[in-house]
Amino acid sequence: MVMVQRKNCWSFFIFLCVSISSMLMVDLSRAQSTQVSAEKCLKCHPALRQEMASKGAHAPFKNFECSSCHNPHTSNYKYLVKEEIGKLCKSCHKGKKRAFGKKYGHSPFEEGACLKCHKPHSSKNRKLLLAAGEKLCFTCHAKKEILSKKYKHDPVKKGKCLTCHSPHTSDHEGMLKRGLTQVCASCHSIKTKSAQKSHNYYPVQDTKCTSCHNPHASSHSDLIKESSHKPFAERKCTQCHNSVRSRDPLGVKGDGMSVCAACHPSIMEDFRKVNTHVGQGVFCTECHNPHASDQASMIKGKEAKICTDSCHLDTKEHLRDRINKHKHPLVMEGKCSNCHRPHGSNFRLLYRADEISTCADCHKRHVSFTHPIGKDAIDPRSKGEITCITCHNLMGSRHDFALRFDRKKELCIQCHKGY
Amino acid sequence: MFRKIHFVVLFLIFLLIIPATALCAGKGIKHLTSITRGSEIGRLGFLSGLFFDENRKRLYVTDTTNKRILAFDVDMKFVSEFKAGGALEAPTFLVRNSKGQFFVAEPTKGSVLFIDIKHRAVKPIDFSAVPQANIIHPGNIAVDSADNLYIVDKANQRILIFDPDLRFHRQVLVKGGRGLSDVKVDSRGNIYILDTIDRSIRVFDSQGSLLLTFGKRDKDKGGFDFPVSLAVHPKGLIFVVDKHKHKVLTFNKKGEFLLDFSELGWREGRLHYPSFICVNKAGRIFIVDRGNSRISVFE
Repeated sequence: MVMVQRKNCWSFFIFLCVSISSMLMVDLSRAQSTQVSAEKCLKCHPALRQEMASKGAHAPFKNFECSSCHNPHTSNYKYLVKEEIGKLCKSCHKGKKRAFGKKYGHSPFEEGACLKCHKPHSSKNRKLLLAAGEKLCFTCHAKKEILSKKYKHDPVKKGKCLTCHSPHTSDHEGMLKRGLTQVCASCHSIKTKSAQKSHNYYPVQDTKCTSCHNPHASSHSDLIKESSHKPFAERKCTQCHNSVRSRDPLGVKGDGMSVCAACHPSIMEDFRKVNTHVGQGVFCTECHNPHASDQASMIKGKEAKICTDSCHLDTKEHLRDRINKHKHPLVMEGKCSNCHRPHGSNFRLLYRADEISTCADCHKRHVSFTHPIGKDAIDPRSKGEITCITCHNLMGSRHDFALRFDRKKELCIQCHKGY
Repeated sequence: MFRKIHFVVLFLIFLLIIPATALCAGKGIKHLTSITRGSEIGRLGFLSGLFFDENRKRLYVTDTTNKRILAFDVDMKFVSEFKAGGALEAPTFLVRNSKGQFFVAEPTKGSVLFIDIKHRAVKPIDFSAVPQANIIHPGNIAVDSADNLYIVDKANQRILIFDPDLRFHRQVLVKGGRGLSDVKVDSRGNIYILDTIDRSIRVFDSQGSLLLTFGKRDKDKGGFDFPVSLAVHPKGLIFVVDKHKHKVLTFNKKGEFLLDFSELGWREGRLHYPSFICVNKAGRIFIVDRGNSRISVFE
């Protein structure tokens, strides 16, 4: 019995040794074979050898694992990569769910365009970045806007964008690392006497700092945004707000938008339209910043962002869809109010006027020599009038000139049958 | 020989399947007709609302641009045009109660007009008893079987309810409402409220208790891009017009998506920025196909 047990133990031990050895051999032979196949790659790509040996080389590149990313024979993708770049990178870098799985995504990350920021082989910058610090961010973001201003926020001056922002995903708007007030409060205290005095002693600790301050740069030393609402500029807070000693100091006087209409009475006429953007409470602040703004007409941000971020989400998706690459230039510039009235309109789709007049504002010559349009030009399909948007989808189309159909034939035969 | 018979039998079965499936497909919602410009009604302008009067079997359409209400019979033939003696400025949505009185929303005036043709009376409904933060901006309106009037108050995100004597009765506050756009009432007095920005439908009972909320933003089937109007079928189905999908989505009583019909287009049966829907007791569906300046009728 003891002999049998000993025999079994030895058998098991031998089996274990053989298994481990064969695994090591497979690993070694694989390493050797990758070495071998990498040598084949380096025969035609000799310049990569030095890069492979550099300090900041990507691990699979450094370990001669070319085929972990590239297909040596054929591929549907540029540079013979095995998969779309985003999916390819995430096939290894998927463990970082905490960093990658949050509510808001940086556009290149969401689009899978990792190479917009990272180099795939090696880089002298940390994290395989294309450039260091603000130099990378400024390749896409607002360099002129920020650098042209006299006063810069300290992290911006030092090129340390990641002091406040997350580069991949974030649970907070603006790709912030934490909630807005937390990010600001990590360096700035609102409780000091000077801070309280500069806010007229109003309890602003839980409000959005960026409602008034530009977090990057400004022409004003206190980083207040470029244009200020007059009562705000004159520090006459009680023109709109309750007294600082009241129960609700941040509350506004009067009901609803009456606080705005008190100084802007003519605005009420804008809303007396068939289609309007009225809402609840002080709905003006849905789009306008009542304190300070970097945009014309005191709107909270860029027009297209205001329109599409919270209400016209489907439009945002349509604009982002690459298939709709042909758009009206004003759409590409995000200038919604050139064609649409943001307050109200008596015309379809909140246009400034009827469709033809709206377009004719800019395209004066075109309306005089174009295909028949207007009340006497009837679309045989619908029996309605032909207007500019009968043929054009200005918000984005796959066809040239933002046409709804291909102009070579498909567009014409929608109406002109028999050709 | 046996093989030949086998093949023939299979072929015959195949021949039967195609017409059968075609029949089944044909049992879906079909386009019936359209109301377009014509010699009798002239050019149609900006079309806003519709109402089917079950008592008089008339379809009423508001032509906002031309400041008129058009009436059509059950066969969609033009009957008459009504301008309320010039009192209509920019009529949008309308209903008619069992007494034959019209209620027409006039958002440019911030009012809802009461029109009694029989007694030649035209006057705005009295809003003085209505508590208001913002000035009332009337949107879509509805009437129930007891002649209570329901008005979407867009500037205060609520539904105002007036009794048959046009006295303010109560309001249904929609908590979290961001873009209330339509209201309908079914035969049991349940109130259906559509929120365009929220992409949701809320169903309240006649006492104002929330029964159901459904709907979501989704570009795929069953989700909304930009819902703007809803209608309740007598059998409990809920139709929702999605203006940006150019479709009508159909849900059951529980808010479960069933099917959608129509698509973007200009030909008969297709829609281009549809903006309003109503359903009559016979199940006929009337849609304001605003982009095509016509009324499309489905059943």
